[in-house]
Amino acid sequence: MTLQVRIKKSFGADREGTSARVGSAPGTPEIDAAMSGLEVEFEAPAGFTILFGASGSGKTTTLKAISGIVRPDSGRICINEDVLFDSSAAINVPIRSRGVGFVFQDLALFPHLTSMENVEFGMSGTEPSDRRRRVQTLMDGLRIIHIAKRKPRDISGGEAQRVALARALSRMPRLLLLDEPLSAIDEETKLSIISDLKRINRELQLPILYVTHSREEAISLGERLIVYERGRIVGRGEPIEVFGTPVASSIARLTGVENIFTGRVITKSESSGTVTLEVSDKEGTCQVDIPYGSQAEGERVTIAVSAGDILLATEEPRHTSLRNILTGRITSIEDKSNRTIIAVKAGVNWSTSVTRQAVRELELVEGREVWLAFKTHSCYLLDQDE
Amino acid sequence: MSEIDWFPLVLSLRVALIATAFVVVLGVALGWLLARKRFFGREFLDAAVTLPLVLPPTVLGYYLLVLLGRRSFFGRAIESLTGQSLVFTWRGAVIAAGVGALPLVVKTSRTAIASVDTNLEDAARTLGQSEWRVFRRVTMPLASRGIVAAGMLAFARALGDFGATLMVAGNIPGKTQTAAIAIFDASQAGRDNYALVLVLILSAVTLLLVYTTNKLTSGK
Repeated sequence: MTLQVRIKKSFGADREGTSARVGSAPGTPEIDAAMSGLEVEFEAPAGFTILFGASGSGKTTTLKAISGIVRPDSGRICINEDVLFDSSAAINVPIRSRGVGFVFQDLALFPHLTSMENVEFGMSGTEPSDRRRRVQTLMDGLRIIHIAKRKPRDISGGEAQRVALARALSRMPRLLLLDEPLSAIDEETKLSIISDLKRINRELQLPILYVTHSREEAISLGERLIVYERGRIVGRGEPIEVFGTPVASSIARLTGVENIFTGRVITKSESSGTVTLEVSDKEGTCQVDIPYGSQAEGERVTIAVSAGDILLATEEPRHTSLRNILTGRITSIEDKSNRTIIAVKAGVNWSTSVTRQAVRELELVEGREVWLAFKTHSCYLLDQDE
Repeated sequence: MSEIDWFPLVLSLRVALIATAFVVVLGVALGWLLARKRFFGREFLDAAVTLPLVLPPTVLGYYLLVLLGRRSFFGRAIESLTGQSLVFTWRGAVIAAGVGALPLVVKTSRTAIASVDTNLEDAARTLGQSEWRVFRRVTMPLASRGIVAAGMLAFARALGDFGATLMVAGNIPGKTQTAAIAIFDASQAGRDNYALVLVLILSAVTLLLVYTTNKLTSGK
């Protein structure tokens, strides 16, 4: 499943018109991108795509346009071959037929219905025994079965969040839209919902558009980040790249950045543009070069290196620009769904990810001597928050 | 005074009840239209449904008489369908009372529907619900206090209609004479005790209805 979006919506023209034509009560998305109108184009394959930006930059309006709540002036929205909106072909599929799951910023749980009735709300076409089973599974999976009979006003923010999520998933959507779902929730609940979202992402393989203005949420979920500013896209890429540094290390741990070490600055060299660290874990230490920065000698820092950024070689790499070359032995080989994680003890314990083909061709086995190599720029400095 | 004639009161209750049933359906539909849809002439429609509230009842009655009478297309159509004209029947009284009560239902239900969060309706749409189901499962339950209040106001208003009813249904004792008209009749004829009984009953019922309505619309 891939979502393709190209939309344009101006607000200036509407606002000049008679008050009756503005369209909606105060607080609706029209206000959102009032500054300049909205004009964006992007693709979202299965997995998380984060729409990041200040409030009023057009993120919510984008979600509302995709779901059909707001009608763009022009453009095209489709999921795979299925066109939801196309101004040139005069196609505008009604909201109810778009097959999109939407978690609203204020959750929009039906206050007159219980949690379970909220989750069941859209399943009236389903056969009763199927429906019961599915509601049960959904609510069990999100650990909200114990509040099934309670109304939204009698449950906590985190529970309400999960009810909204279960409801959005109840009709097997082709696409999930989440509008700042974690903005009003305490840190601990946030982390547990983030792991729920990651599980849902693995199980369902849907495009998930996630609107937020929190860097930490963006980094912990994001495979892809799209940065909004005043109704335009001003940046895209992997969150950790787009944001640069620093980020909170607890968040980096959630992101799937596998290598996180604390260390101390040993030397700095402005001329070579590097800072040398001695990093350590329980079992050992090693030296790593990172890009030159404002750290003082002796200062303690935390770095993160993504497993995918580390090159693995069976002989010593020579004549490369890579500043970090370490040698060690393979301690474990773990097969994941689409890649293999190789753990290497080279001073400290590193994780690196390779393809299955590479494992065969390089004849990687436990105990074998290998070299790890990576750029200084693959090392991200994290905020020391522990 | 001999035996009290309860017919006018019973007729009034029946007319008001039936008128309320019709007017709530029509009025809530119009209230929804005005609260939720943008269309050309919306404010004009709003003004038009408000008219019965401010027009002299005789003017309203006159319009209805013309509309329902033998010479109008509408009046003839009804007569050929039912074999009976609406004018000078209790059914005519239902229409007169209903039209008088319509603005109250439209205004009250429009306010109640407008206060329902549109996000909830959009959420229902993303869950595959048609416009009718969105209304029935989300908007109506959440606006139910206002809609019930609208119905009670309509009933109170229909119960007390005088001018338009008199014009359309006439004053035929035992046939179209409602309580409000019977009061006028009795006080003209010097049957003050009878008038007083009806006045007190109508006042009490209406007071109770308005009181309940206020409680419903003032929230919590």
